[in-house]
Amino acid sequence: MIRARMPAFDSLLTRRVVVVTGKGGVGKTSVSAAIGLLAARRGHRTLLCETSGADQICGRFGVPSGVYSVTALSPELSTLSIQPEAAIEEYLLRMLRFRKLYEMVFKNRVMGPFIDAVPGLHDLIQLGKVFDLEREIDPRRRARAWDLVVVDAPATGHGISMLTAPRGMMRLTRSGPFHNNARDVAGLIEDPARTAIVLVSLPEELAVSETTDLYGRLGSFQSQVAGIVLNGVNATALPDDYAALRPALLAGADPAGRHAIDLADGLLRRQGAEDRARASLKRLGPPVVDLPDLEVANLGSPELNRLATCLGCAT
Amino acid sequence: MRHVTPVHICCGAGGVGKTTSSAALALAHARAGARVVVLTIDPARRLADALGVRVGSEPSPVLLPPELGARGTLHALMLDPKETFDRVVSRYAPTAEARDRIYRNHIYEHASANLAGAQEYMAMERLHELAREDRWDCVVLDTPPTHHALDFLAAPERMANLMDEGVMRWIVLPASRGGWRMLERGSEVLAGVLERMVGSSAIADIAEFFTAFQALWDGFRERSVEVRALLSAPTTRFFLVTTPAPAARAEARLFVDQLRAHRQPLAGFFVNRCLTAPSAPGTPHFGPDPQTRGWAEAVAMLSALPERQRVRVAAQEASIAELVEGTAAPVWRIPDLGESVHDLRGIIRVSQYVTEAAATGGAW
Repeated sequence: MIRARMPAFDSLLTRRVVVVTGKGGVGKTSVSAAIGLLAARRGHRTLLCETSGADQICGRFGVPSGVYSVTALSPELSTLSIQPEAAIEEYLLRMLRFRKLYEMVFKNRVMGPFIDAVPGLHDLIQLGKVFDLEREIDPRRRARAWDLVVVDAPATGHGISMLTAPRGMMRLTRSGPFHNNARDVAGLIEDPARTAIVLVSLPEELAVSETTDLYGRLGSFQSQVAGIVLNGVNATALPDDYAALRPALLAGADPAGRHAIDLADGLLRRQGAEDRARASLKRLGPPVVDLPDLEVANLGSPELNRLATCLGCAT
Repeated sequence: MRHVTPVHICCGAGGVGKTTSSAALALAHARAGARVVVLTIDPARRLADALGVRVGSEPSPVLLPPELGARGTLHALMLDPKETFDRVVSRYAPTAEARDRIYRNHIYEHASANLAGAQEYMAMERLHELAREDRWDCVVLDTPPTHHALDFLAAPERMANLMDEGVMRWIVLPASRGGWRMLERGSEVLAGVLERMVGSSAIADIAEFFTAFQALWDGFRERSVEVRALLSAPTTRFFLVTTPAPAARAEARLFVDQLRAHRQPLAGFFVNRCLTAPSAPGTPHFGPDPQTRGWAEAVAMLSALPERQRVRVAAQEASIAELVEGTAAPVWRIPDLGESVHDLRGIIRVSQYVTEAAATGGAW
């Protein structure tokens, strides 16, 4: 049977929320941005959310960032950095309805530190914000404000903590508005029809083993992993018969030539590592998509758009 | 004043080779004659094997090859946050009952098992324990890969705030009187609001947690003040580990800003996976074409590689320049050693590139 080769990431774009996680330093933010750009190109109104407290996305696109406010990057793509402190204040304010009451309860030297120390609270409230954004209605269009919310989630362990934070809070509280709110958030995040997870990895042994470990620890979230991105794949191909020619090339090489052969050997080793990484990741089950190493000092708007194109073509 | 053991802290995002760099820095100290212990956080299993470290272990000696001629010794251990937390509770609990009451508490179970929250604090706790032992000339800490980059620096402060007398009075006293009554004016409103929000069973758990912890508080508060003092001691040095990759650099810059905000001077940058510029200038030559199939193609490909390498090195140097901008901290470049470094031989190779860093910080 011949199956039509659909771009692997197209099914992703029909969800409501995409959570991007992976080992630290693998390029989660770039991959999140590329997914956001691709979704926007396909006409989905997309919001790209950062959770690290930083404003990297605005910087990458060269636009000034607002303080806890949505910044438009293009007609279809906007970004928001969900700063934990601001999100907590917003959340508690809404629960208590009155600022005065909020300040009395939480802005004192007793509760302030206590709120800080509640494990998982930051994660839960950041996800709660995603939940709100997913439901947000644009009053002018009288429609959902966002077709897709892409979440640049924290790395591995923290990423899992974030996904499981609603369940943790439900166990901890057992009743009351916190409990109910956590239950609602869990309902969205654990729904495979609405929420997809993307893992990002690198063609390196440690990164691959961490991705494998992460996938294992995802437990019931595994079925929501819609794709694994193998990021930073070398774009230079070596000719097929290079290996056979290498001895003769080396025999006649001058110092610069020998150095060039060293570099080619490095590329060969790298390609071997990439092939092994891809094979290991494919064994996990979800589709694996390559993204090239663009070999530049900065990933700005043009580079991120190139990555979006790569994602869109990958099958 | 008590002797303060020099502490060298390697911080940075996850996935930049932080554990390897920490181990290499510790090894460089050991080669120079120090008795060093490296505390690693969640290293890849193969690295743990290479160092001979087990989870939850006491410092275990790393067997260094004699040809290395190391004049000092290297020990390593791997943080087990849950075990450390349990041990701290056990140490400060006045009775076995008090200890078991905490172990059984709902909130404790959640807090101590939730690695994301407890790891930073427990790393500080273990660091402090090691720094107090007289058998080390230097302690090297591989910090946990945190989401909020320098969470671990604020961890003792947070714990101290939490252990503030006010919290005790506010939460424990009313609970011990059987009701949720407050001493301060307006506190009944507060209690009502809280109870409505999180439910009465959670309030009971929280009160129980604080009551159970009451006996331990003095120990905790004292400890957090000491940890703070240790972190700001002049012999404590921070190294920032990163790679030239744009994503890693962006995260590293956050660390630079946060260290500055904490008024912690930066002792230097370890830049892992650096490329080196082509060693031989000029166009490569490979002798006469033997008229073999693919020869011309291969030569064309090879000839383009040095230039490509030069472009990549230039991009890397631009990246490093952005990384260090505004700081006076030295940069140590560690070349890309191919496959990920995961055995003692790899760590020894890396250590050669950070010898100078160890010497700069070598207050012992």
